[in-house]
Amino acid sequence: MSSEIAGDTLRDELSRPAGQQKAPHGKKRKGVTERDRPLWLLAPGGILITVIILIPLVLAVYMSVIDLDQYTLRKWLATPFIGIENFVEAITKTDLLRSIWISVSFAVISTVVTVPLGVAAAVVTQNPYRGRAVVRAVFLIPYVLPSFVVATVWRTMLQPDGIVNGVLHNVGIDPGLWLNGPLSYWTLVFVEIWAAWPFVYLLALAGLQSVDHEVHEAAAIDGALWWRKLREVIFPYLKGPVSLAFLLGTLNHINNFTLPFVLFGAPAPADVNVLPILVYVTSFQSFRFGLSAAMAVVSLILIAIPLFIYLRAVKLDVSDDGGKK
Amino acid sequence: MSTLTRPRTPAGRTTNKAARNGRSAQVTRLMPTWLIAVLTTLLCILVLVPIAYIFLASLNTDTGVASGEFWPSQFSLDSYSKIWGSVGLGKGIINSLVVAGSVAVVSAVIAVGTAYVLVRFTFVGRLTVLRGLLGLQSIPGTLMLLPVFVLFASIGAWLGITIIGTLWGLFIAYLTFALPFSTWVMVTYLRGLPRELEEAARIDGASNLGILFRIIVPLSWPGIVVSGIFAFLLGWNDVLFASIFTKPDTATAAIVLQVFSASQEGGAIPVYSQMMAAALVCAAPVVILYFIFQRYLVGGLTAGGVK
Repeated sequence: MSSEIAGDTLRDELSRPAGQQKAPHGKKRKGVTERDRPLWLLAPGGILITVIILIPLVLAVYMSVIDLDQYTLRKWLATPFIGIENFVEAITKTDLLRSIWISVSFAVISTVVTVPLGVAAAVVTQNPYRGRAVVRAVFLIPYVLPSFVVATVWRTMLQPDGIVNGVLHNVGIDPGLWLNGPLSYWTLVFVEIWAAWPFVYLLALAGLQSVDHEVHEAAAIDGALWWRKLREVIFPYLKGPVSLAFLLGTLNHINNFTLPFVLFGAPAPADVNVLPILVYVTSFQSFRFGLSAAMAVVSLILIAIPLFIYLRAVKLDVSDDGGKK
Repeated sequence: MSTLTRPRTPAGRTTNKAARNGRSAQVTRLMPTWLIAVLTTLLCILVLVPIAYIFLASLNTDTGVASGEFWPSQFSLDSYSKIWGSVGLGKGIINSLVVAGSVAVVSAVIAVGTAYVLVRFTFVGRLTVLRGLLGLQSIPGTLMLLPVFVLFASIGAWLGITIIGTLWGLFIAYLTFALPFSTWVMVTYLRGLPRELEEAARIDGASNLGILFRIIVPLSWPGIVVSGIFAFLLGWNDVLFASIFTKPDTATAAIVLQVFSASQEGGAIPVYSQMMAAALVCAAPVVILYFIFQRYLVGGLTAGGVK
């Protein structure tokens, strides 16, 4: 773990004695924890999560198999059960499959571009130099800015009479509309990349800081060329953080509602009708609640794949001597 | 590379990071200087050119921006004073501060208690809860929006109160969605705290709550701050729930800005300068929080692994 991170330094320092004396204390500790555990402290969070997340999750699945629209919403408990009709309609009569394709391709392209950008940014700020702190702060800017702010400012700059077209016109290029038509897809990809690469940068930075100094020395003694050292010595250390960036990045891109919603509005142009927007519009603009719930369930299945890999990969119950890696 | 084969001082032996960086930076260098310079410059341009334009446009006049100026022919702070009237941004910012601020405090309090039990005690289902904390962070908001909406509407009708359209509904929703991540941040933090102090306190007769308030809470302030700030950011940055759960007078800053920006298209003279100013004002609280707590936040992020 990084020693630049105050919290982690504290943790590492404090946990060392605990780790050393772990064995003799093991038995006694168990005795303590078995006795009068304050499990009621779990209640506030547990109740909230049950009522506002778990029950609605079940509701979402239930709504996907009933005929729910604006007329039946008030009496949703008495709404007729229609089985998989919503799913059939979603797949055969709506843009669902096209939206899945747009969402997945958008997420994959964004991830594939942001990972090298983020890793490069971490590598170039690894060695100290005058002004590095400023560069690091600059790299964090897109990450720090709220999504809705990023989307608003890009939307403004990409207007037909906005600055981007103004500058491009001066160099003799007239690309046309950015926020509508076929180019809008690439607008979405570009803005997402612009906003998301610092996330990879932060993960890669933590990975780089776990490289031992001895490893650098060994590579130096071998006289390895920089790119060989980078590829064969340093990058293996980044395998963990980069896989994490791949998984979480892809999940975040697929789930991103704010960016397309604020950039293009809802309903979105056909080329950027990503899954979250489609689900949202079907619910709250077409009022086909059952149909929308079916689409949402399909999107949950879609993200369950990377999510499952992620949950399997994370060590949940590490002991005192290590964080999550 | 000559820099790599150069004879070295025994600085590598020391574990002091500062001394290490100073004396042996050549050894840890990962790229030739020119490449570092090129990549750094490119990345900075990628970030700073749009940012510079946003600042300049916000300091320009609406007509100046509309005529395509990059550098304002005339600097003015007019846009920053106009947005309070034309956009109604003040109300939105106050709503956002109230909701996100209370979510931050309450979720941090709940997260400490929950994490304490999860880290220090064993019980049936503990691993399921831990796994759930991670899994729930990735549930798409678009899946939750409709059922939570229906639930709030039904509970409201049943109890004879209004939930949808009030800040309370928004508060409850954000609080719950913030909890899995806030709790996870606290779990990773508390894992690093030594048990010795707690055990000593227990021998001295301290109760579980005594240990929580006298030992855990004072020792874990950095973790508490991080989990609170992430909860704040969730509330501040959300558009999805706020777009459905608010009325015009309870709209958050994000919604006010989004509605303002959407209403610009097709207008006679677009007020792009005001838009940039409003966007920067909406970003300001978040940016300030980040730069005050930067060191803690970056650590919390890599511990939790989610934005």
